[in-house]
Amino acid sequence: MRVLVVEDERKLAQILASALQAEHYDVVVAATGEDGFFRANAEVFDLVVLDLMLPGRSGLEILQTLRQWHIETPVLILTARDGVDDRVLGLDLGADDYLVKPFALPELLARIRALLRRGRPSDVLRLKAADLELDLVTRRATRGDALLDLTAREFELLEYLLRHQGHLVSREMLAREVWKEPRRATPLDNVIDVQMTRLRRKVDNEGGARLIHTVRGVGFVLREGEP
Amino acid sequence: MHWWSTPSIRVRLTGWYTVVLFLMMVVYATATFVAVRHEFLEQLDDQLHDDFETAEGFLAPAPDGRIAWSGDRHHDPDNDEARGSDVWSAGGEPIYRSSASVALPAVAIAAATTTPRYESVVTNGSRWRTLTGTSLVGGRAVVLRVSRSEDRLRTQLWEILVVLVLGLPLVVALAGIGGYVLARRALTPIDHLASEARRITADRLHERLSVSNQHDEIGRLAAVINDTFARLESSFDQLRRFTADASHELRTPLSVIRGIGEIGLHETRTPAEYKEAMGSMLEEVDRLTTLVDTLLRLSYGDAGTVRLSRESVDLGQLARDVVSSLGILAEERNQRLRIEQAANISVTADRLVLREAITNVVDNAIKYSPRGSSIEVRIHADRDRAILAVADQGPGIAAEHRERIFDRFFRLDEARSRDAGGTGLGLAIARWAVEANGGSISVKEGTNGGSIFEIVLPARTGTIVEHQEHATQRMGGDA
Repeated sequence: MRVLVVEDERKLAQILASALQAEHYDVVVAATGEDGFFRANAEVFDLVVLDLMLPGRSGLEILQTLRQWHIETPVLILTARDGVDDRVLGLDLGADDYLVKPFALPELLARIRALLRRGRPSDVLRLKAADLELDLVTRRATRGDALLDLTAREFELLEYLLRHQGHLVSREMLAREVWKEPRRATPLDNVIDVQMTRLRRKVDNEGGARLIHTVRGVGFVLREGEP
Repeated sequence: MHWWSTPSIRVRLTGWYTVVLFLMMVVYATATFVAVRHEFLEQLDDQLHDDFETAEGFLAPAPDGRIAWSGDRHHDPDNDEARGSDVWSAGGEPIYRSSASVALPAVAIAAATTTPRYESVVTNGSRWRTLTGTSLVGGRAVVLRVSRSEDRLRTQLWEILVVLVLGLPLVVALAGIGGYVLARRALTPIDHLASEARRITADRLHERLSVSNQHDEIGRLAAVINDTFARLESSFDQLRRFTADASHELRTPLSVIRGIGEIGLHETRTPAEYKEAMGSMLEEVDRLTTLVDTLLRLSYGDAGTVRLSRESVDLGQLARDVVSSLGILAEERNQRLRIEQAANISVTADRLVLREAITNVVDNAIKYSPRGSSIEVRIHADRDRAILAVADQGPGIAAEHRERIFDRFFRLDEARSRDAGGTGLGLAIARWAVEANGGSISVKEGTNGGSIFEIVLPARTGTIVEHQEHATQRMGGDA
């Protein structure tokens, strides 16, 4: 999978590149708008991560021209501005998703995975990790032979963790995707933490390996073995 | 800009005053001159009339049958160079001609009538006024003409005109100067105010303009300006306090991050310790991010650039929503979180923003109430107002802090609230959110200790449905 990162800030570009490389993506970094535009036009990528505020040629311009030339590579835009107008404009011009700086890397990776997965059948009926199984049709969760007694919210939370199995999940992602809250707030963070503690008690206390891990300062991850 | 293109009020005032005065003086002088001239001419005619009668008296038939002129020495008009008398017989024979009037043309006898006729005559460059008429002397008709020179009168009129024409600009100039001085005196307090106001800068906002008389125009102006300064000072103070608080709040996580980094690099540590340090740093970054986001939202709110939707929101539904979301936090602390709804009320508000306000107030109650206590969310209507009250059994808030509790970064207990993960902005956001939706928020003392936070919003008309009995709804977690 080839990913083009168009980002003028050197440090951030480096961080993005190494995070993507760690996920085994083939990463190309363009430091200017011109370079980014040239590469996106001349080479074939599976995805473009595009900063909107670039020297020379603005991200919106690049996006607009790409779409005009019918280059339909998925584009994820990064914007420092928290203005709704900017995001709406970006999406209108053909961006597939957006993230507002400062963003959490797990979130960026999750968005990229979602964009790359798009169009492929992903309707699974069962999610599994080690001996944990989630039946999405009957909405039953089992660990080994034991049936887990989960509330609706706990089930959704576990489902989300399983769908992002092995990947970090931030509180922000949980707030938006599981709690459907448009904005992250301190009270909600506390709710998420309490809910997670309860879920872990139910999932991991039935014996077997620990599956749900807290990664301090980042969020949570569901995986076998050490985080 | 030249001074003449935008003259000062003083100059403009004086200018207008002078122009108007000048025009009035011109009208006045003209009227005076015309009246005086008319009066003078009338007097002259009166004198001629008298002269005519006197001259008639001097005419008498002589023994030889001719009419003779017998002007006496004292009344002889002949003694005066400025007047004259001429007498002709009906046949046109001159009977008498005074030396002064010899130069005047003779009278056309045929035109002479019994009714005396006044005329002005110009001879050798001098004007004469004449009165001509017929008179019967001893049964015979004679034509008598008396005349007076207009020269003296003209001279007098000329002198008056000169006085008027020369005096008028002088008077106007003097009045103009006087007007300018007056205008300057009247406007000096304004210049004074201006220079005083200029002195009051951002650093000296506590100073005020001096007011000598509160009730005159200048005094009222100064009072208005002082009022503006007072408001400016209070917002400056608020801003200064806010900036100081904000930088303090931002510095705290920054110094923690720095400290962790410095300690981490000081010695070689195990990977687990590094992970721990980095996680700790990220937590602080998270806190910083939340803080900056919240501050940004508040500043958008201050600038009035937040666009709120106006939809019908069921207050009870919104409260149940919040309670079901936060219920788990109360459960953790063994607190009872209940909703008591006396009426179904809808309000017009931005659902998400209002929800945030209620969330923050309820979260605040959960955080500061002791374990095992109860928190009640009460919804009721008071005429056309919808009231949502959150009553807790916490320690309560001292009266002097009740107003400031909604200020940004105001904390009753620094250490405790920071441990509880607060930014110190929750209630400030709540206040903004309620006020942006046209409501108000306040806090008062509860009946048995604790505090009651009250959110008051205008109810949508016709949406208040009182419940027959107070239904009490118990909310658990969000199961």
